[in-house]
Amino acid sequence: MDAALESPAPPATVLAIDGISKQFGGRPALEEVTLDVKAGEVHCLLGENGAGKSTLCNIVFGVHRPDAGHLRLGGQRFLPVGPAHALASGVAMVHQHFSLVGNMTALENMLLGRARGRSLALADMAKRVRHLSEEYGLEVNLERPVEDLSVGERQRVEVLRCLLDGPQLLVLDEPTAVLPPREVGALLEICRRLAARGCGLVLVTHKLAEIAEIAHRTTVLRRGRVVETVTMAGAGTDLRALVRAMVGREVKPLEIARATPQIAAVEARASADQKEDEALRLDGLVVKDGAGATRLDLSLTVRRGEIVGVAGVEGNGQSQLGAVLAGLLAPSAGKVLVGGADVTGKPPRELSRLGVGIVPEDRHAVGCHLPLSVAENLLLGDLSAYTRFGLLRRDRMAATAMARMEANDIRAAGPDAPMSSLSGGNQQKVVLARELALDPLVFLLAAQPTRGLDVGAVEAVYTEIRKACDRGAGVLLVSSELDELLAVADRVLVIYRGRIVGELPAHPQHKDAVGTLMSGQVAAVAA
Amino acid sequence: MNETLQAFVSSSLRLATPLVLAATGEMVSEQAGVLNLSLEGMMLSAAFMGAFGAKVTGSPMGGLAFGLGAALLLALVQAWLSVRVRANQLVVGIGFNIFALGATTFLYRQIFGGLSREQIPSFSALEVPLLHRIPFLGPAVFSQAGLVYVAAALVAVTWWLVAKTPFGLAVRAVGENPRAADQAGLAVERIRFLAVLYAGGCAGLAGVFLSVASISTFTEGMTNGAGYLAVTAVILGGWHSVGVLGACLLFGAATSLQFVLPALGVPIPTAGLVMLPYVLALVAVSGVIRRSRPPAALTLPFRRGGH
Amino acid sequence: MSDIADVALGAAGLTRARRLPVERLLPLGALVGSLAVGLVLVRATGVPLRDALAAFWEGVGGSEFAMVGSLNRGVPLALVGLGYILAERANLTNVGGEGQICMGGIFSAAASLSWGAGKLPGPLAFLFPLLAGTAAGALWGALAGLLKARRGSNEVITTLLLTFIALQMVYGSVQSVHLLRQPMTDSATLPESLEIPSVTQLPVLTKDSGLPLHVGLVIELLVAGVVAVGLARSAIGLELRAVGLNETASRRAGLPVERLVIGALAASGALGGLAGAVMVQGDQHYLTAGFSSGFGFDGLVVGLLARGSAVGVVAFALLFGCLRSGGMSMEMSASVPSAIVVVCQGVMVVAMATAAAYSRRRPA
Repeated sequence: MDAALESPAPPATVLAIDGISKQFGGRPALEEVTLDVKAGEVHCLLGENGAGKSTLCNIVFGVHRPDAGHLRLGGQRFLPVGPAHALASGVAMVHQHFSLVGNMTALENMLLGRARGRSLALADMAKRVRHLSEEYGLEVNLERPVEDLSVGERQRVEVLRCLLDGPQLLVLDEPTAVLPPREVGALLEICRRLAARGCGLVLVTHKLAEIAEIAHRTTVLRRGRVVETVTMAGAGTDLRALVRAMVGREVKPLEIARATPQIAAVEARASADQKEDEALRLDGLVVKDGAGATRLDLSLTVRRGEIVGVAGVEGNGQSQLGAVLAGLLAPSAGKVLVGGADVTGKPPRELSRLGVGIVPEDRHAVGCHLPLSVAENLLLGDLSAYTRFGLLRRDRMAATAMARMEANDIRAAGPDAPMSSLSGGNQQKVVLARELALDPLVFLLAAQPTRGLDVGAVEAVYTEIRKACDRGAGVLLVSSELDELLAVADRVLVIYRGRIVGELPAHPQHKDAVGTLMSGQVAAVAA
Repeated sequence: MNETLQAFVSSSLRLATPLVLAATGEMVSEQAGVLNLSLEGMMLSAAFMGAFGAKVTGSPMGGLAFGLGAALLLALVQAWLSVRVRANQLVVGIGFNIFALGATTFLYRQIFGGLSREQIPSFSALEVPLLHRIPFLGPAVFSQAGLVYVAAALVAVTWWLVAKTPFGLAVRAVGENPRAADQAGLAVERIRFLAVLYAGGCAGLAGVFLSVASISTFTEGMTNGAGYLAVTAVILGGWHSVGVLGACLLFGAATSLQFVLPALGVPIPTAGLVMLPYVLALVAVSGVIRRSRPPAALTLPFRRGGH
Repeated sequence: MSDIADVALGAAGLTRARRLPVERLLPLGALVGSLAVGLVLVRATGVPLRDALAAFWEGVGGSEFAMVGSLNRGVPLALVGLGYILAERANLTNVGGEGQICMGGIFSAAASLSWGAGKLPGPLAFLFPLLAGTAAGALWGALAGLLKARRGSNEVITTLLLTFIALQMVYGSVQSVHLLRQPMTDSATLPESLEIPSVTQLPVLTKDSGLPLHVGLVIELLVAGVVAVGLARSAIGLELRAVGLNETASRRAGLPVERLVIGALAASGALGGLAGAVMVQGDQHYLTAGFSSGFGFDGLVVGLLARGSAVGVVAFALLFGCLRSGGMSMEMSASVPSAIVVVCQGVMVVAMATAAAYSRRRPA
């Protein structure tokens, strides 16, 4: 008789991706990607913007068909013809932009695609949901329309919906981008629990801290190709190596500061002397929404040459603040003063003329026109200099655009290249260049300026912002990237439920205190 | 006076019925995101084929079958073009209306010959037992062609379908956020297809009512904008069953007033009365009533993986 | 023939660079197919094909008179179509051409009959009613623009509703002698207006030959030129395009979004109003209920098919004008129901829309 040593059976492979390639209109998005996910494993997908992470997820979920290669789910060939097929096969996905119908309740959203037959069986579904809700500690309000819930709640609904059918593979696409720090921990805990039950998880993220915390293995994607798959050794893994794999070059300390607090190295800043004048003052600014609830109620001051950071989880009034400063929203009360002059309620054109520059949160929706050319985007706000008898002088526009592109290191095919053909980083550079070209530039609002940007672009953005500062503008930097804020700003205000709940000097040692303030706990903060 | 009022109520119901039938179906289609401007064409085709069928088979039920078939056929093509091919819904709708007007006029002249007002076998009035004896309103309300009662039943069935069944939930999801619906595993195209067919079937009933039940003959272009009026009723009704029903009854009454008021000697210009439904809908849609928000994906075709 | 193909394809939005064989054939096939349907129907009536086609050709351009008729008929169609593509640039869909024609006709007739345009010197006699009609159409379009800009109301719905209201206003205005109805000599007097004074009628270009080709054609071509250049090369054209692409970003960039939206719909409506004035002053010379006779809807279709190209609008307008003339002639001379032409048009519209959708499916 064989004295076979008892060893635990190796975990089964839930998902095997083999040589998957995908092109969109001639441009390769994925090239021969091969990786696998085992049962009980949390496999992170790391990569820059445009590396192909979302495309890969969409292929696994059946939204796109691969051009080449194949998938195996639980050992069987798997080619989902659509999300319904994927769901039926035990694959669930938490989408980055949520797949919920806004004007339906959470309960109704749960029923979508699941209810069969003649009646909706609301009570049964409610029971199932409550079960799961208790089991995983995910509290959700089932009765209100989903669009009335907070972002975090909406994601809980999305996650719960995925868990309803007990998937064997769960794909999460950048799930923590919009969560407050405390809830990030809760989400990661759920991932751990699911893994413990044998589910395979694919977690797409660009946050190294999370990867360090939870990943068993990490695959780095760059420009559609797998660079390497790394087995994580817990907190001791050298994250710098991962970043290098992501970007392909050594990164400067600023970036590591953003990635992991431990390796923080705050760049010394030349102390600015021109702090006398006030670039921006908000006096008792109040914004109420349609239902009469107060969304914003604060006062603050930004001096010229100063960078003031505003830390807070998305949805605590930052959007309203940005809209008021951009001239798109009129406050219910209070005043906005720029360079000492009252500009409350003035339209965007006026504000630009008075020296207010805005880099909006959502550059695609608010910041630029994707189908228009770079030159058109740069100059749209003030075409009068380029118009003769009502007709445009394209040659002049192109010349000015080329000059600006050169000055700001904007990489594009030419001034007439459509904005959509530029990478995210270059698009943001265009938006910045447009705002920084304002003369005078008294105040600049940069809202989430590095969201979705790769490491190189992040550096470029902050360099430009610092330049604006050195020229005498006051900068308000609104960001949910704590590490960036602490590295770049002079001081940090924390916004919670529309109010400023604390102010701290910007230093990495205050990170925990800021995080605490961000989640609404005002007590026990060392000033 | 009594008689005039009875005539008014009776004719209001009769005029409202094709609207109720068509608008109820169109509401479902629009809730799924497809705007059928071709409602007019579907109704007209059904009216003609209904008359033709009644003449050929000698029975109004035969007309009903023919008319329904014609409308469903048009709806099938409309669905395929709007949902599968993703052609511009407005263009296709208007194109169908032009086509239907030409085709029915042409066929009418060829088959019925010129300006005949040939009477066709039609649905006679059905008296609801007992109820029609209610004093005053009884004969007016409960002695109508069978299709009127069908219309009432249709409203109830549709309400239940949309609010209480998985299909209705799917329809509403698909019209509001088709991408999310797709990601939840719903077959967006198939649902929209079915919704358009439903609208076509209802439009078919409406058209058949016009020719086979209401005036028992076919005249060229007899729908005369009723299809557009039905679309208007859906707007005024805020895309809800009860609202749409109310709007249709209101329109029916307004149209009826056009005949009743002159008979009473009241000098209201008929143009004003005909305008009234549209003015009301315009007011509704200018946001005075906040409820009137169309389904977010209305007229927008859906393509998986696209934007 | 290849020029027409070029125009048709250019009109269908296919640029030179991307014309694969299938794409070239699709819209052409749609056109040919719909005409074939017409021929089949003609056969079905029993009338010999030769006679029917001869009559059709007669009506289109067999005689100079017929040709002029086709050209004249194309003018309001082109104007409405141009208005459509103008609004389309800002991503606004104006389906209210028919109603704007109605308003234009009413005010043009009012100016000619009641406001003393006939007493104005020289060209002002016909320019003033044209202006009045244009202004009325602009107002009608601006109304929808206002509702869109201030209330966010969907302009497809509002322009459609305004059309039905305007149709009734025409009816109402010729019902009452206090408005535009001709004096009632007896109870059989038709509800229509008097004939407009000859000085207010559009001058005829070819006076010597006795052909009624009026100045509307010149107006059409001028407007087409302005629209084409304006959309492609003017600052306002770029601003409209920006607003159409992204309203919030445009606002942020400092563009006067509300003014642009209202302006676009007003301009679009103005062209519709102009079309109505041209119809009353150029062809009909009096106002009657239903005078718009579907020209607004046909013009809308012309605009839809042209896919943003002013040249395409002019081409399709001419095509539809010819179809109408040919159809009428067929009915009169060969007893072929003109409804066949209507069927053709319907099939053409649906077929072209399908062809356009298929060519859109090609990967970029």
